[in-house]
Amino acid sequence: MGQLWESFAMAFKDVFANKTRSFLTMLGIIIGILSVSLMGTAISGINNTFENSMEMIGNDVLHLQKYPWFMKGGDWWDFRNRPDMKVEYAEKILQRSKKISFASTEMQNMGNIRYGDNSIQGVFIDAASWQLQFVNSLDLLAGRFYTKAEDRNASKVVVIGYGIKDNLFPNQNPIGEEVRIRGMKYKVIGTLKEQGKFLGLFSFDNMAIIPLRSAYSIFGRRRHMSITLKVREGFEVGEAKEEVRMIMRSIRGLKPAEKDNFAINQQEAFRQQFSAIKMGISGAGFGITALALLVGGIGIMNIMFVSVRERTKEIGIRKALGAKQNIILFQFLSEAVIIAVIGGLIGLSITISLVGLLNKFFVASLSIKLIIISLSVSIITGILSGIVPARKAAKLDPIDAIRYE
Amino acid sequence: MALLELNNIFKTYKIGSVEVHALQGLNTVIKKNEYVSIMGPSGSGKSTLMNVIGCLDTPTEGNYLLDGLTVHSNNSEEAKLDDNKLAEIRNQKIGFVFQTFNLLPRATALHNVELPLIYAGISKKARMEKAHSTLIEVGLGDRMHHKPNELSGGQRQRVAMARALVNNPSIILADEPTGNLDSKTSAEIMVLLDKLHSVGNTIILVTHEHDIAEHAHRIITLLDGKVSEDSKTKNGSKNKLINNNS
Ligand SMILES: Nc1ncnc2c1ncn2[C@@H]1O[C@H](COP(=O)(O)OP(=O)(O)OP(=O)(O)O)[C@@H](O)[C@H]1O
Ligand SMILES: [Mg+2]
Repeated sequence: MGQLWESFAMAFKDVFANKTRSFLTMLGIIIGILSVSLMGTAISGINNTFENSMEMIGNDVLHLQKYPWFMKGGDWWDFRNRPDMKVEYAEKILQRSKKISFASTEMQNMGNIRYGDNSIQGVFIDAASWQLQFVNSLDLLAGRFYTKAEDRNASKVVVIGYGIKDNLFPNQNPIGEEVRIRGMKYKVIGTLKEQGKFLGLFSFDNMAIIPLRSAYSIFGRRRHMSITLKVREGFEVGEAKEEVRMIMRSIRGLKPAEKDNFAINQQEAFRQQFSAIKMGISGAGFGITALALLVGGIGIMNIMFVSVRERTKEIGIRKALGAKQNIILFQFLSEAVIIAVIGGLIGLSITISLVGLLNKFFVASLSIKLIIISLSVSIITGILSGIVPARKAAKLDPIDAIRYE
Repeated sequence: MALLELNNIFKTYKIGSVEVHALQGLNTVIKKNEYVSIMGPSGSGKSTLMNVIGCLDTPTEGNYLLDGLTVHSNNSEEAKLDDNKLAEIRNQKIGFVFQTFNLLPRATALHNVELPLIYAGISKKARMEKAHSTLIEVGLGDRMHHKPNELSGGQRQRVAMARALVNNPSIILADEPTGNLDSKTSAEIMVLLDKLHSVGNTIILVTHEHDIAEHAHRIITLLDGKVSEDSKTKNGSKNKLINNNS
């Protein structure tokens, strides 16, 4: 045991005796470990962001629309020629369906909001029916949502997102104030809690919700509509989707042989898309990691061969003094593993410093599991690349070795 | 009692198709606490013999007994020891002193002396104590933490001698220990070797110089890989006399 420890300590000294060379040898491992840990962290971060965003969409919500979210091949003209969604569909679906509890018809557009001298451009304006509050389980910070009556009467009232409140009414209660949306006067009746960004791209806080019918005069009646449906508790999303599909086919009067001329979108579509992206990232990351580790491993092997040759005489002396084969093997193997592990630690520390940067885009942290995986990979690379040179050292003939100059 | 017994030892090197016969049927017996010089012309097989005795090399043919242990035998297969076993014998029974010192260049004097004890599996504390006292014994108490390139030739050879001694070997093998030293330093090294012999060590010394060889009690002369002469020196006869009287 003591012998092994001494050999390890001697290996450690030798690595540090050749700092520059050891460092250059480490580069491949550094890159490999950097890539595996950074990729792992990024994927877990992206995953978190994705799950949070999916919660915003809701996993029990169906989106009845003209177009599918992700058009796979297909004929774009087929989609294009579909009839538009109509406002009365929501009512009809609610009447016929057992599995849908709420339905909200929506029209969405961008526009500006002005309050006094301040205005915000590019606000996401969601013109929706009163049921939206239940479909999307909206959380209010203050005030209230508009009523069924206000919706039907096309009242000019608005519920504003947290970002808009923050911008237009930094030190003021917005409730009861009048703003202008696309030039039209609206009274603020409620504010929403902060929600964050969807997939890190689109802020749900920079949003204003107004009664659907009130938007006809500012958007025009023929805007692209969609219907958001909430699946009743206790029913599976898949079942509800099938039911809605049948109801829609009957509303549209489709014959059995005809294809659906509408799309029912749900979170699942994002999930499929996302897992493809994730596979892409991990595939690329894995490729880079494997390549870097291979190059790094060969680098270590090469430098260990050089080291064994340079230190042939030293090996001869050690053997003359009684070092057995396994001790010499262990010493040189330790050296390779030490180089690889230090490389791994450098790679990990670079990752740790980069995680801060990643956090600007999404919440990510380097997990313990990933650290353990990275270090294990380093150790294995060290062993694999060190074993052959170390065996060569162990098998040297003491006489030949001690005479070597 | 015979410490080592060499019986009809052959060592043949093959370089391609050329065979070099370094030892050709060598016989000798060396007893405990003997002080032996080996002489002979260059290429006569002195170093080869030292390597065989020191278990750094194995003979091609012949019987070799060291301290009651069969290191090599013509008769049984099992008597041919493997690499690890030979390493253990070198560690336990042999102390080498080389012409070119053969110290680890990047290690301190202390660490160099510690090495045989490390490979003997001795604990750190015991190791340090033993290495310390041995360095003091060879007169290097104030140079323990110097590296070889910070020491003079004579000092380096003292470190090497401390290293050879530190694990209490059965034999000290010194192959031209003064070959790289001036005459004054050589004399100092020989004083040390004489002292080591006087405290009970067995010493075998290879040298080309007669006055060095005369320090020993017996001179074995090699020629063409065989013993051509084996005689006592003046020291040896004196010693014998004392032994006879007692
Ligand atoms: N590894 C080897 N391979 C081939 N031949 C060798 C080897 N070692 C020694 N020899 C040969 O064996 C013979 C004896 O060599 P050895 O080194 O024992 O001589 P020596 O008596 O020590 O000579 P010197 O006084 O010059 O040191 C020489 O002819 C030498 O060339
Ligand atoms: Mg020689």
